[in-house]
Amino acid sequence: MRGNKTKHLWEIVYNCPFIILVLFTALFMLPFFHKIEGRENDKNIAVIKSGNEGADECTDGVGLFAKMLEGDLNNDKSEACYVANDVQSDEEKKENEGTRKKDITQNGKNIRQNNNIQKTAITVKPPKEEERATKFIEYTPTETNSRYYSDAGKVALTTTYDYILENDSYFNDAVFLGDSRTLGISDYAGFDGADFFCDNGMTIYKLLEDTGVTWQRTGEKVDMKEILQEKSYGKIYIMLGMNELGYGDTPMYLKQYLKVLRQLREWQPEAIIYVMANLHVSREKNNMESEFNNININDKNVAAARLANGKDVFYLDCNPLFTDEEGYLQAELTFDGVHLYAQHYDKWRTFLMEHGVERTESEEAKVSAGETEAAEDSTVGAGEG
Amino acid sequence: MLFSSVGFLFRFLPIFIIIYVALPKYRNIILLLGSLIFYGVGEPYFVLLLLLSILVNYGLSRYMFWEPRSPQTNRRQKTARRKKRALALAAVLDLSVLFVFKYWDFTAKSVNSLAGHDYLPLLALTLPLGISFYTFQMLSYQIDCYRGTVEKQAGLLTFAAYICMFPQLIAGPIVRYGEVEQRLLDRKVRIRDLENGLKLFTAGLGLKVLLANQIGTLWNSIMTAGAGRLHTLVAWLGAFAYSFQIYFDFWGYSVMAIGLGKMLGFSIPRNFNNPYVSRSLSEFWRRWHMTLGRWFREYVYFPLGGSRKGRMRTVFNLFVVWALTGLWHGANWNFVLWGITFFLLISLEKRTYGKWMERNAVFGHMYTLLLIPVTWVIFGITDIGQLAGYLENLIGLHREKVLVGTTQLFRYLREYALLLIACVIFSTPLPGKLYWKWKDRWFMVLFLLAVFWWSVYEMMSGSNNPFLYFRF
Repeated sequence: MRGNKTKHLWEIVYNCPFIILVLFTALFMLPFFHKIEGRENDKNIAVIKSGNEGADECTDGVGLFAKMLEGDLNNDKSEACYVANDVQSDEEKKENEGTRKKDITQNGKNIRQNNNIQKTAITVKPPKEEERATKFIEYTPTETNSRYYSDAGKVALTTTYDYILENDSYFNDAVFLGDSRTLGISDYAGFDGADFFCDNGMTIYKLLEDTGVTWQRTGEKVDMKEILQEKSYGKIYIMLGMNELGYGDTPMYLKQYLKVLRQLREWQPEAIIYVMANLHVSREKNNMESEFNNININDKNVAAARLANGKDVFYLDCNPLFTDEEGYLQAELTFDGVHLYAQHYDKWRTFLMEHGVERTESEEAKVSAGETEAAEDSTVGAGEG
Repeated sequence: MLFSSVGFLFRFLPIFIIIYVALPKYRNIILLLGSLIFYGVGEPYFVLLLLLSILVNYGLSRYMFWEPRSPQTNRRQKTARRKKRALALAAVLDLSVLFVFKYWDFTAKSVNSLAGHDYLPLLALTLPLGISFYTFQMLSYQIDCYRGTVEKQAGLLTFAAYICMFPQLIAGPIVRYGEVEQRLLDRKVRIRDLENGLKLFTAGLGLKVLLANQIGTLWNSIMTAGAGRLHTLVAWLGAFAYSFQIYFDFWGYSVMAIGLGKMLGFSIPRNFNNPYVSRSLSEFWRRWHMTLGRWFREYVYFPLGGSRKGRMRTVFNLFVVWALTGLWHGANWNFVLWGITFFLLISLEKRTYGKWMERNAVFGHMYTLLLIPVTWVIFGITDIGQLAGYLENLIGLHREKVLVGTTQLFRYLREYALLLIACVIFSTPLPGKLYWKWKDRWFMVLFLLAVFWWSVYEMMSGSNNPFLYFRF
């Protein structure tokens, strides 16, 4: 009797090796795949909690960014401070959330305002010391129910600065780091002198980890880190955040961005760093059900903008060039709702040329001497304007 | 829910299969409920439309089979009249639902632009998932009942299960009732069927995720750069990439459907038979989306008289069939144009060089391989201005400055070389033959296991990579 049963069992096993293998491997694979889905948030929450303890020690987290980028503060405490600061603003937001109502059109209005201010921002006089380098326009945040993002409740504007109109040669010592959209700039904006390290699907997490990033000049995979250490660049343009929308949350993104900028600053102490806003997506592509929407993109942009100090790190918001009144990427500029058609990169090119930064020698000296001014000035880039 | 999603693979499917196998007495009701959940997850409201549509169609088919008790004089005549009435009503109702959801805005826009005034309002309705497929399936049932092909009417549960069964609900194949009737009434689920079904499903999943989705990014990046500004070779590369994408996408889906059907104890008909090795466009359509071709042939072309009513009538019949085939694929002028292109080319083939081409295989293959990508470009670009630009680029005309030139061409070739080779190989009958020959050998089992997990990996990382292009 028993022998019969065993035989029967063997028959089943013999008849479905594939099902059994799939089920068996699933035991090992599923926990691994679970991780890819971006559950590392849990870890991140732990960081925020531990960060809270150090909150008393730093008065202003944002001001510290400039200092951190210079590599002065390289310990864990500073990171804790920055995270704590982020938590503070989150709490503030939550307080307000009760009285505020969802309103996407409100959002639209603000972005239109943003458009106007954008234009004036380019022409205004150099900012006074007490003025903030990067301005934010606040709006009523909507409630979001995502582990990847929350509504930032504000829109970041291009860092206020007395930009100069430059020509092509400005970009001869520039390097662009980014994803498929930067690839578009490489292909169609015509900055022939600049170096481009970009790949489809690049993320801020992979940028310094990948051993092979495509150098668009040669089309070959190279070790970007080596080149960045050897060659000296005058400008670094970085635009990453689209492929991060569904991977980790915004504080994690900001933390990693900071880490990357710090590393870049170490390798390129003289370079002007441009943090470029991620372009919004079209109305059709905007999906509130998933993490792929403009609220999330804006959340990432606001986070990235807080890294700008108006001295050697600048935030450039190209969105007003291509978006409609409600902040959607204009449908006629794009096929897939994400990337611009080749011919529209000209506009982007002009925009980047209009935002040249020429530092006077005294300014340069200040920066390289590691003046703590930025850190002391509690208003710089505080991000609550 | 899509087959190539984590939710389907690791939640819905295993739970469903366990319940389905464990309760053999209630298979149809489990199948129906499971399918409604499968559909309802993505379309919580339209599932009601589906149910309503099933009830109405079931009622009408009952009416068709209804026999009055009392003896009547001209009984046969009355039955015929009743059947006709029921069929007409079913056709009108089913097609008007399809029309309102799928074609109303298109018609309204066309009328308004012709009249130069906004007479008809736009409704901007969302298209219920799979409505084109299940409408056609219901109509095929009604027509088969009318013709007597279906001899014994299905019960409500059987009919609902036949329409809703999730393997083929949202993207075909369009199954005829006669093909699954026996299995619907009584079916066994054997362990071998589960095994072979899952293998087939995996093969389809691989085609969809590892070939279609991957090559789709090439077409997408070319279109993203902008039609009308492409180097001629880039335009051709894009056309081929899109041809591969659409084939592997749809073929993969059909294979997954057949595999799932097998797991549940059904044999769902084949939908593709190596279409890209055809020697003419007529042959192509005998091998591409075969269940749709069959539908139009049996329910439109033959009733119109096919090719038996003289030359002019044949041409007219072909025109009707192709215009409708075009429109079925989408409510837009480019789909009409796509259908008309096939009408012109196939009529031309039939009248002139078709026979000659079947004999001269080399020429026939080249002819098909050059024309098919062009037809897919017409299919793929809904904006008529862009379509014109792309077609001009294909024949070497450039009105705008070429922005996507040889630099990008070489990059694309380098990036996609392996994938393109794989796509070419999988367009031949060879992989299919090897699969059927070796499907039970251990190395094929291991290969499929690798395909399975690789696909799952791509699917999951794809959710982090919004640039992947899904199209269902």
